Amino acid sequence: MSASVTSRQRVLDRIRLATQSCAKNSAGRAEDYAKLPRNYIRRSQPGASVRWELMIKRLREYDAEVVECTPDELPATITAQLTASGRHSFVAPVGLPTEWRSTGFQWKIDRGIDTSEIEQAEGVVTAAFCGVADSGTIVLHHSSNEGRRVITLLPDWHLCILRATQLVETLPEYFDRCLQPPSLATYISGPSATADIEMTRIKGVHGPRFLNVILVSDENVSVLDKDAVQTVSIPAEVGSLKGR
Amino acid sequence: MSSTASGHAQLDPRLALPFPEAVLPVLRNPQLRKNVAHAIDVIQTKRAKLVLEKTDWQALRTAASAIRTHALENLGAYLEQFEERCTAAGGVVHWAADADEARKIILDLLRQENASEVIKIKTMTSAEIQLNPYLQAAGVDVFETDLAEIILQLGNEEPSHIVVPALHINRSQVREIFARRMGLKGLSDDPKVLTNAARTYLRQKFLSVSTAISGANFLIAETGAVAVVESEGNGRMCLTLPKTMITVAGIEKVLPRLQDLEVMLQLLARSATGERMSPYTSLWTGVTPGDGPQRFHVVLLDNGRSAMLTKPVERQTLKCIRCAACMNACPVYRQTGGHAYGSVYPGPIGAILTPQLMHMEYSQSLPYASSLCGACYEVCPVKINIPEVLLELRSQVVNQERKQLTRIFDPMYLGLLIANLLFAKAWRFHLAQRLGRVGLKLFTRKDEWIHSLPNLGAKWTQTRDLRGLPDETFHEWWASRAKGAK
Repeated sequence: MSASVTSRQRVLDRIRLATQSCAKNSAGRAEDYAKLPRNYIRRSQPGASVRWELMIKRLREYDAEVVECTPDELPATITAQLTASGRHSFVAPVGLPTEWRSTGFQWKIDRGIDTSEIEQAEGVVTAAFCGVADSGTIVLHHSSNEGRRVITLLPDWHLCILRATQLVETLPEYFDRCLQPPSLATYISGPSATADIEMTRIKGVHGPRFLNVILVSDENVSVLDKDAVQTVSIPAEVGSLKGR
Repeated sequence: MSSTASGHAQLDPRLALPFPEAVLPVLRNPQLRKNVAHAIDVIQTKRAKLVLEKTDWQALRTAASAIRTHALENLGAYLEQFEERCTAAGGVVHWAADADEARKIILDLLRQENASEVIKIKTMTSAEIQLNPYLQAAGVDVFETDLAEIILQLGNEEPSHIVVPALHINRSQVREIFARRMGLKGLSDDPKVLTNAARTYLRQKFLSVSTAISGANFLIAETGAVAVVESEGNGRMCLTLPKTMITVAGIEKVLPRLQDLEVMLQLLARSATGERMSPYTSLWTGVTPGDGPQRFHVVLLDNGRSAMLTKPVERQTLKCIRCAACMNACPVYRQTGGHAYGSVYPGPIGAILTPQLMHMEYSQSLPYASSLCGACYEVCPVKINIPEVLLELRSQVVNQERKQLTRIFDPMYLGLLIANLLFAKAWRFHLAQRLGRVGLKLFTRKDEWIHSLPNLGAKWTQTRDLRGLPDETFHEWWASRAKGAK
């Protein structure tokens, strides 16, 4: 591919020539980057209930169904959700805890199963990496309990389980939690939708049409009750851009 | 002008009519203007509400502008870093100096894959390089998968907006296109029914076509990742199901670090569609074993971009994240829609981007397709001072015209030449005033107004009257008064 090599050189030479007065060396770039103005909001408002309530509100605005439960109630809550969906066959990522796979339903565990099998399943149950309350976003990094990208795409119904500790209020707080940059990530903010015909919002084009979320409190008290007694400490801000 | 199948002949800046001529059919098409105005009103209302709730909106804009500027100032280093990281993750990076090279690289890749069909995520960059007609001519069937792009492709229509490209087409027109091209009888014009028809039409394609083409919203230098933002899930289908993915991205799309997305993603959807976040944002880095396409290529496209990097004023153009907020806010775009701009990039950003992509050899009328009201600058999430760039490009156009010999036949040039001569010396000016008074007297009626002038002057009097010149100028009156006082 010698032609490409020359094109590479041509393009880079043009860029170098055009930016010779402003481009910096590696140290200068790092210094300039650290000085970029970042006066936008990074941190949550205090109190876990603020982001908890905001997340529920945002998800409901997207027509997602949201239920809350304590860790002890989780298996029963999952069963109730699966039953209420009227569906029977579900895909589970390989790392989904066994107690989340309610009995009485048909489970396909994704050990690299065929697309056609995933396509035939009626739903999928996964964990998540993070939830961002400000925009009602579910973040998947596709680890073993979140599954490959395809399993949360083809089935029409997605049940996602999100723990209170995984919830942040702002998008910068999520990025602060990415100590290891994910090689794959999907941010889901409401079900698949389009407004391409006369700006009328239609739910469900190609992705799942139904998004259900179970929010699990930290301990066996609801986040809202707990917040009333004591202020829940905000997860430590890690890997902040500030000071870099 | 009719278009070829999925081609954008009308939107080729080399063939397009100048803006003032191209706009005439649109201004005579009330249905199209109504469709455009409706769509824009909906987006504008949603955007305004969501921007208002963001108390740190201006701080986000300032940060985004600074990040984009920094990335462009150091573009060479960040692109090389992206290339290195993407390659390390199993991707293959190609460089294309112009549209022709990019098209050839992509066709070669498709031939290596023996691909006779390809599915596509909406990409403005591929429209810019007119990829679809090129691939079709080479025997590759191209299937657009974004709903608006399907409407355009099946209806042989041209995109008129960079985010909602079919906003000029209403539901009954979509119904007609789908009924005709998908062979569906008794289809209603309910958007829900029409959307479902598209879902069914494409499902089999997603599951069977093994090669996909995408654009990129962002390239991350730090990690080698590519980000695509979309609403329907067609993007995720294309990014997940095929065996091979080819991404074509302008060289300006690079961001230094992953965390820069915390700024861009807060601004993009709010500006583009009036949502807090688009339903789906996908990030992938090279190839991930067992998940998604196992062969991944990125084509980095220059095509005139590097020439915009030299001077800070023009460089701003490349900060653009293609949200379309500028066209939604533009009073000119609102009246004309997108087709009159003769480019796949319409509106204020198109007016500055297209002529520069064309090295100022075409689309010279576009920098004038603006009232310079500044609404585009006000809404731009990365603070591109579009009016400033428009003025700079206007001056470049004027400098080009100065070099043309044919300019002596241009009435405006002649007029300004004469004005230049007359204004240079006071006596010439006074003489001209006196001659003008005598000349215009012939056309001045009793009411001291001029109602009609011949030839070029008619351009004024066709639409408004002209006040007749007084018998005496202020200078003359002042001089006679001074004499009288002595």
